[in-house]
Amino acid sequence: MSRALVLLLAVSARAEPVDFSRDVLPILSANCFACHGPDEKERKAKLRLDVEGDAKRARDGETPVLAGKPEQSSVFTRLVTKDEDELMPPPESHKTLKSAQIELVRRWIAEGAKWGRHWSFEPVTRPQGTIDSLVKEKLTEKKLTLRPPASSATLARRLSLDLTGLPPTDSSDKDYEALVDSLLASKAFGEHWARLWLDLARYADTKGYEKDLGRTMWPWRDWVVDGLNADMPLDQFTLEQLAGDLLPNPTEQQLIATAFHRNTMSNDEGGTDNEEFRVAAVKDRVDTTIQVWMGLTMGCAKCHSHKYDPISNEDYYRLYSILNQTQDADLPDDSPKLSKPTPEQTKAVESATKKLNELREQLAKASGKDLKDKDLEREDPTTDKPEIAKLKAEVKSARNALKAANEEIVAIPIFRELPTAKQRVTKIHNRGNFLDQTAPVTPAVLPAFGKLPEGAPLNRIGLAKWLVNRDNPLTPRVWANRVWARLFGIGLVETEEDFGALGTPPSNPKLLDLLAAEYRDGGWSLKKLLKFIVMSDTYRQASETTPALREADPRNALASRGARYRLSAEVVRDQALAVSGLLSRKMGGPPVMPPQPAGLWRSTYSGKTWIDAEGEDRHRRGLYTYLKRTTPYPSFITFDGGSGEVCQIRRIRTNTPLQALVTLNDPVYLEAAAALAAKMIASGSEPAAAGLRIALCRPAKPDEAKPLITLFADAKADFAKHPQQATDLIATTRSKLPQGIAAPDFAAWIVTANAILNLDEFLTRN
Amino acid sequence: MTPDLLHARAVTRRHFFQTSGLGFGALALNSLMADDLKRPMIPARAKRVIYLHMAGSPSQLEMFDYKPELQKLHLKDAPASFLEGKRFAFIKGVPKVLAAQFKFAQQGQSGQWMSELMPQLAKVIDKISVIRTVHTDQFNHAPAQLFVHTGSPRLGSPSIGSWATYGLGSTNEDLPGFVVLLSGGKTPDAGKSLWGSGFLPSVYQGVQCRTTGDPVLYLSDPKGMDRVMRRRMLDAVAKMNEAEHARSGDAETLTRIAQYELAYRMQTSVPDVMDISKEPEHVLKLYGAKPGYVSPAETSTDDVRVLYKGDDPTFANNCLLARRLIENGVRFVQLYDWGWDHHGSSPGESIDETLPIKCQQIDRAISGLILDLEQRGLLDDTLIVWGGEFGRTPMMQNNVRSDLKKGFVGRDHHPYAYTMWMAGGGIKGGVALGQTDEFGYYPVENPVGIRDLQATILHQLGLDPYRFHFSYQGLDNRLIGPTNEGKVLKALLA
Repeated sequence: MSRALVLLLAVSARAEPVDFSRDVLPILSANCFACHGPDEKERKAKLRLDVEGDAKRARDGETPVLAGKPEQSSVFTRLVTKDEDELMPPPESHKTLKSAQIELVRRWIAEGAKWGRHWSFEPVTRPQGTIDSLVKEKLTEKKLTLRPPASSATLARRLSLDLTGLPPTDSSDKDYEALVDSLLASKAFGEHWARLWLDLARYADTKGYEKDLGRTMWPWRDWVVDGLNADMPLDQFTLEQLAGDLLPNPTEQQLIATAFHRNTMSNDEGGTDNEEFRVAAVKDRVDTTIQVWMGLTMGCAKCHSHKYDPISNEDYYRLYSILNQTQDADLPDDSPKLSKPTPEQTKAVESATKKLNELREQLAKASGKDLKDKDLEREDPTTDKPEIAKLKAEVKSARNALKAANEEIVAIPIFRELPTAKQRVTKIHNRGNFLDQTAPVTPAVLPAFGKLPEGAPLNRIGLAKWLVNRDNPLTPRVWANRVWARLFGIGLVETEEDFGALGTPPSNPKLLDLLAAEYRDGGWSLKKLLKFIVMSDTYRQASETTPALREADPRNALASRGARYRLSAEVVRDQALAVSGLLSRKMGGPPVMPPQPAGLWRSTYSGKTWIDAEGEDRHRRGLYTYLKRTTPYPSFITFDGGSGEVCQIRRIRTNTPLQALVTLNDPVYLEAAAALAAKMIASGSEPAAAGLRIALCRPAKPDEAKPLITLFADAKADFAKHPQQATDLIATTRSKLPQGIAAPDFAAWIVTANAILNLDEFLTRN
Repeated sequence: MTPDLLHARAVTRRHFFQTSGLGFGALALNSLMADDLKRPMIPARAKRVIYLHMAGSPSQLEMFDYKPELQKLHLKDAPASFLEGKRFAFIKGVPKVLAAQFKFAQQGQSGQWMSELMPQLAKVIDKISVIRTVHTDQFNHAPAQLFVHTGSPRLGSPSIGSWATYGLGSTNEDLPGFVVLLSGGKTPDAGKSLWGSGFLPSVYQGVQCRTTGDPVLYLSDPKGMDRVMRRRMLDAVAKMNEAEHARSGDAETLTRIAQYELAYRMQTSVPDVMDISKEPEHVLKLYGAKPGYVSPAETSTDDVRVLYKGDDPTFANNCLLARRLIENGVRFVQLYDWGWDHHGSSPGESIDETLPIKCQQIDRAISGLILDLEQRGLLDDTLIVWGGEFGRTPMMQNNVRSDLKKGFVGRDHHPYAYTMWMAGGGIKGGVALGQTDEFGYYPVENPVGIRDLQATILHQLGLDPYRFHFSYQGLDNRLIGPTNEGKVLKALLA
């Protein structure tokens, strides 16, 4: 035995017992299961190590795992053998285990090879303790304690940005809890938290692919905002989105809710096979559903059984068959839809229809035959009599008028189930190929994660109820983690998208389960869960950090300090508009087109153009900005916003020079700078310090504004020398010179405000 | 590669952060920089790539794949073997066979067959490896383009340029590592998803540089703010950010200070590199480039294809820009030229009228690029890839017409065999890989899949296509997909 190994054994002798699901399962998953796991097609030597019985059964003269006897367990001996033919993992797999991992496997077997399930598949039970006590438990291991609370101004800004995505407006000295309650009750709350749902639902205002034509999805967006503001519990939210149409006498709102899964893309490209893209959409719905609620990746089970998690190829298509019974079929008209005409619109369509019918009759009489639409196109001035040509033209224009009247009506794609007689037979798609279908399957939920709740039907209603059933171990954990990550910048499970065997283990498992239990047992109330978290001392810690803190908890995964991170794409913009006073608080309705550089929309066939909005619509919240999948709003993409093509579980934050160019030069930030400059001048106090106070929502520290005052003085001198530049800058920002202020002064204050809106502290949640 | 390792890279990336003694920073553009850490995994033959994509898909049967047998069947019903069990985008029933519409001849020492449409390229054909048997499993534009560029026909996967910059970084601190240039008047069918970073961090997405307006969005300072003023403003911001860093101790703030500096430098460096008027006359001539030219096709809102002119230099300008960009350290330059979808349903999309115009637009430009790179000693380690997303059928598209009418000659989408080529970057010259049957319908020798092409491109860049991956959603995602069907095209390697 080598000296190093002796040393390792000596060290490990003092360590706590090996925990299978925490310590060993990840090693087996990453290194063994690809060939010895759930996927029967890839399985080598007919050996599977993901099932206890198989792993502990003697076979061909060897036992993979013989409890208590690592030297006689081939799972261990094959890791350390010098015989290349015996060695596992085989060299061609390019996988190698670290010596510490091999030692863990050895110790686990030596300690009795106790089996268990992957941690996230175990039931959620509420642990003893509070957020703070469970965080402190972990911090104590690192010889750390909770940090003192942040200042009240910092906390007010933090809370307001976290809960509403807007800076605080309320300067009254409310106590902390009252502030929490008022923010949770504000309408801005739903607008901010809806963004999370929009990312998950791959929401966009266009259909995707080549033509990427527009479509009306915004009523669903407004449904989400309203639902969050009303604190609709997650179980109901789930049921209505997945199966609102199947509920008894569904309301209009419940039908709109089902647009959640109509956010899938549809391909209007000429020459496409509609069935191909319908199937692609259904698969997207299967994958998205399991991603959003259970944090598992289904994608690979389309072609073969999952290599690491207990989801077989058949399981995939059984779940698929539940979602495979809706009427939508990648048709250009996106049917079925829910129409929401106003009374005026109904009248307009009626009168346009009447007019068209009358003209058609006249034409039929005049020409002596019933002309079809295509006959109208074959206008022939040489043979048509003048009155017939005239009538044809009139019919065409009446037809266009009817089309236009219909297009005025808001109609949103929704779910509608096929009648029983027309339901599709689902078969397994061989290697995921929809043209190569094999064995038929019956519908079922994933068998490894609990049964359908008592009495639930085997359709989308049952699926929804199963997802939010008490016994489902994943849904509450996945959602609690997601909410935590939005507040702390990093999830307790960092891989928010993967709670399976290959995901990262939770940094604080008990805390995760506390939050999960709190959410589930508290009636799935998002507002309650948020309040539970933000009332903790952990949340209220100051974010200042020290070398020792960074050393012990480099990424703040243990919440050893207050979180500090750059604001999200929409919040960066909304905040600049809010502090400058430009932000429109108009809620809901069709998406808007704030200014973007000309010529970005050059899609292949879509004739729609981007027309920069005027007035209030220039300055609506980012949530309302038109999202075209193939050409998303550029500044949001630069700040890591998504394009709404596929379900986006988390946005990975980046820090790039292109972001600097946006906040320095995008017209919306220049307009905000000018508006802020005017507010600074009107503040009645020293403008630079006032600017800091307005933007950062805290009083300026003594001398803090000095660099800004110097900047202002230099800029003013420059503008005085070059007055045309002052005029140009003011014109660029579309602002008016405040009364009694000279152009060079105002221009210099705009430059100063532009600087404030680019401060790190401004772009950051502290 | 795990997110942890990415973090570690971001941290160790620059001396600036190493010496600051601070914790982890978020991903920054400079995590793409300085090649010290981003070493190739295997010996690299190419340091950079210029990928020329002809969006819409040119006809291999009019350019590279010489099929005299088609002449015998010209305007006759297509044989049943062409049609049985096939899905087409537009063809219904029994279409007529269409012979090559242009003359072919053997070119160069290697004697490769080429049509008369690319006379300049014919002169450099001995520097090129032509692959006649590329096949794909997608026959609609957007999914097929996505498959070629991201390895998946659906949206959401990183493009090959993102993979390359993720694997290798950029070598110029003042420029993005992955740049995209467009021509043909439209964005390619699958839009910006073709240069998106998918599940890779967004720093790896392609940056579209434009030849009109700001070359990079929001690059210009607002009217009225000169460089001195901008400098002063950034100095004030930096000063206050340093104070914020002293208070918070957050390394992100230092990264932000550095990014604002980089943005300031990009405001000069990008317009500088994008300014082709600095090129001498003989170089402009070599490509057929014209500085400052704005094509009517780039601004019209009508069908731009009817505005195409053979001497439109937009694509040539982009080829010259590509050379300037890679010369300045950009890792991956992707050109998309739209307008190659020649169904025959209108003169703007016909093989007889528009294809020659499109060929004229690219012929001198591409041969000029190859010669220019060679003269500068850059061809050896710059890989050039040319092709569309699929090929075109040996038959006419019978839902359009079944006779020859001027301006209405066309072919449907054909995924089973088409031509692409590669040059430079450790690829042999004068090779013709693969053989199709007498009608150019199927490969009969050396079929080459999209995954083979992707494996080969990565391999030339020194990235092992089988091991090079990014862990996301519990999967080790790779450009070449989950199976190992993609093989490096050894026959092409010099």
